[in-house]
Amino acid sequence: MSNAAIGAGAVALGMACAVVGSIIVVLGLAGRRPRWFAEARTLVFGMMAASVGAFVAMERALITRDFTVAFVAENGSSRTPALFNFATLWSALEGSILLWTLILCGYVVAVVLKFRRQGDDPMVGWAVLTLFIVSGFFFLLMLTVATPFDTFDPQPLADGTPFDGPGPNPLLQNHILMAFHPPVLYLGYVGFTVPFAFAISALVTGRVGEGWLLATRRWTVMAWGLLSLGVVLGAWWSYETLGWGGYWAWDPVENASFLPWLTGTAFLHSVMVQERRGMLRVWNLSLVIATFSLTILGTFITRSGVLQSVHAFSESGIGPAILTFFGLIVVVSLGLIAWRGDELRSPGRIDSPISREGAFLANNVLFAAFAFVVLLGTVFPLIVEAIDGRTISVGNPYFDQMTMPIGFTLLFLMAVAPVLPWRKASGTVLADRLIWPAWMGAGAMVVSLLIGARGWAPTLAFGLGGFAGGAALRQVILASRRQGWRGFVGRTNGGMIVHIGVVLIAVAFAASNAYVRQGEFTLLPGETAEIAGHTLTYEGSTFREYSNRTEWTAAVSVDGGKAYEPGIAVYPFASQTIGIPSVRSTIFDDVALSVLSFPETEEDDVILRATIQPLIVWLWIGGLVMAFGTLLAVIPGKRRHPTSPTSARVPEPDQDPEPVGVDA
Amino acid sequence: MTRRTVSWILVVVVAVSALVIAAVDEGEPQTNSDRAYSLAKDFACPVCQGQSIAESDVPIARTIRRNIRIWVDEGRSEAFIRDELVSIYGEDIDYSPSTDGISALVWVLPIVGGFAAIAGLTIVFRRWQAEAVSEATAADEALVAAARRERNDD
Repeated sequence: MSNAAIGAGAVALGMACAVVGSIIVVLGLAGRRPRWFAEARTLVFGMMAASVGAFVAMERALITRDFTVAFVAENGSSRTPALFNFATLWSALEGSILLWTLILCGYVVAVVLKFRRQGDDPMVGWAVLTLFIVSGFFFLLMLTVATPFDTFDPQPLADGTPFDGPGPNPLLQNHILMAFHPPVLYLGYVGFTVPFAFAISALVTGRVGEGWLLATRRWTVMAWGLLSLGVVLGAWWSYETLGWGGYWAWDPVENASFLPWLTGTAFLHSVMVQERRGMLRVWNLSLVIATFSLTILGTFITRSGVLQSVHAFSESGIGPAILTFFGLIVVVSLGLIAWRGDELRSPGRIDSPISREGAFLANNVLFAAFAFVVLLGTVFPLIVEAIDGRTISVGNPYFDQMTMPIGFTLLFLMAVAPVLPWRKASGTVLADRLIWPAWMGAGAMVVSLLIGARGWAPTLAFGLGGFAGGAALRQVILASRRQGWRGFVGRTNGGMIVHIGVVLIAVAFAASNAYVRQGEFTLLPGETAEIAGHTLTYEGSTFREYSNRTEWTAAVSVDGGKAYEPGIAVYPFASQTIGIPSVRSTIFDDVALSVLSFPETEEDDVILRATIQPLIVWLWIGGLVMAFGTLLAVIPGKRRHPTSPTSARVPEPDQDPEPVGVDA
Repeated sequence: MTRRTVSWILVVVVAVSALVIAAVDEGEPQTNSDRAYSLAKDFACPVCQGQSIAESDVPIARTIRRNIRIWVDEGRSEAFIRDELVSIYGEDIDYSPSTDGISALVWVLPIVGGFAAIAGLTIVFRRWQAEAVSEATAADEALVAAARRERNDD
């Protein structure tokens, strides 16, 4: 059977499973026949099998260069190296929807397995129904507007050579990170579907207490960690491949991935207030719903072509479909919240703004403001054009100016909040606990001055970074003294490791933005240029031919050491020329080289661009530290005592006996 | 004065003086090349998909980069360069929306929203503070004491 037929069959099977599964769950819930919706999980496995089948069929088509599949004919090529050929699946619209669906089905299976003993609980039933509907939507996309398995009739060319495709966009096949950035990002995006499903379920069943939060807490943390890692990997990829020395450009699609990260981060913090004090229920539900709907809105922005972006694929009918789905999610969710409004009213109150819960509240206001600024800036050109026809752009300077004060305040909060006790803090307690983090901050400022850094903004960032890092270290050190290795795991301690990662990123971001140096040099072979204390020597050029491209590279030695080889690659079949940057990284600074103009002969001159930025490598290290901290955070920490009010769970029959590792 | 108070006074003095020195002393002056680069990030490449002049490598972006560099070398002001580019390529080349007309909203709305949020929170906290605080009863105290004892046993 052909790959196209297998794939199309699998997509249809997946859709059928989602529809039948939804119907069975609905009937089971309506008729109070818990066995029915417990049995619907068989269909979840059917859906999983279908999405795996479709994925394997597409990969098989790509690997065997089966050009009878239109997607392969349009995006594949016999010349693409194996790894990028595998990654071709997510280099275009239809395949990326397929990957999304596969990951979603994986999460649905994991939910069903995890909650198998509560399979007949309506809470799980409604969550599974929500997951069926969301999965069904993605299968529907693949059946209608983003069909991956259209067939194609490959004809040999006029001169008799067999048909060959153009291959994926050259920018998507020149760096290994392309194989990891999209799947990791999708794992994060899609992961938020699970807490969303339980939020909807809590609203429908009226069990708006804390049960659903506990049930999905680790899922949310993992999804958040993967999203963070995915965003950092994306920045790294863009730095390594685009060759202009930057890593974040407030591109609409970058913003689209950042928005759910912002609301998700707000949720991870405010959920602790709900667990501890029973407050902010409506707010937390709204954040979960906002996070999920922003992932869908992000898909719309990326995939519909309404906003210009380097990530945008070709325009297609998928835009209206996703926008409709987004509208549906928002309307249904808001309707449910309005309906349950009375039960969501929380009993507690915050005693003092200077308390842990007060700090979490401030954190949430800041993250909400941050998300608002990013969302507004991203969609504002569309709004203005719709209203009075002017075309305007919103970019770098706007986002930098508007988000900088928010970033500073967040860093300050990161320093103060971890030492605040719940309910109420006295000045003495704060003064005692914060003194040595404060010295770390002041020390960071003095050190930066001594090594020659100037400017109030970066210096303030270093100071606040040291302050926040000190507070995080203090918590981890105190906890590990008290509890040994357990002082590194659990939500609070793992969270502090995540904070250290965030501080590293903030400091690296401030330093690289403030002290970037860029220069362009025209050099003959053997000539040398100086920039920001570095010596660049152009040693000569090389020409190489590969199956999918031809490359000209210039050997440039940095500070008399090893030669780096920036160059230019021509992909004849995609009729595209792209730069190949080359970066020398040390823990102090990065020298990023790219070639702007190539010599006609070996004796001619080359035009080089060199971008020198300090501390870049700490952005990536910070990202890895955040991912590592997330892993530590999901390991159960200090065991809650059953009498602790925070661990009291809604008694449920046949409960999963796994202990709840809460700490705060 | 306790040692802690002295320590706090010292840390604040050190941090504030560091900040003042960093703000006043300008350090190495920016080169024209750096100034041109930072300006290039503020303008959209007219033919690209969401890339700035600094990012893009298409011919028109290179031309604009070269022009910006020439203007910087001539000592032109940022405002001059902005006006020049907008008059040649249109308003949408400027990544910093103008404060005229409707596009001013993009600057104003977040600030209004921020003040509204602060005002709202202040009102809520006022109301919370005004509410009577319920005192713990003897039975409550006993419950807590029992829980504490039990916890300290393990």
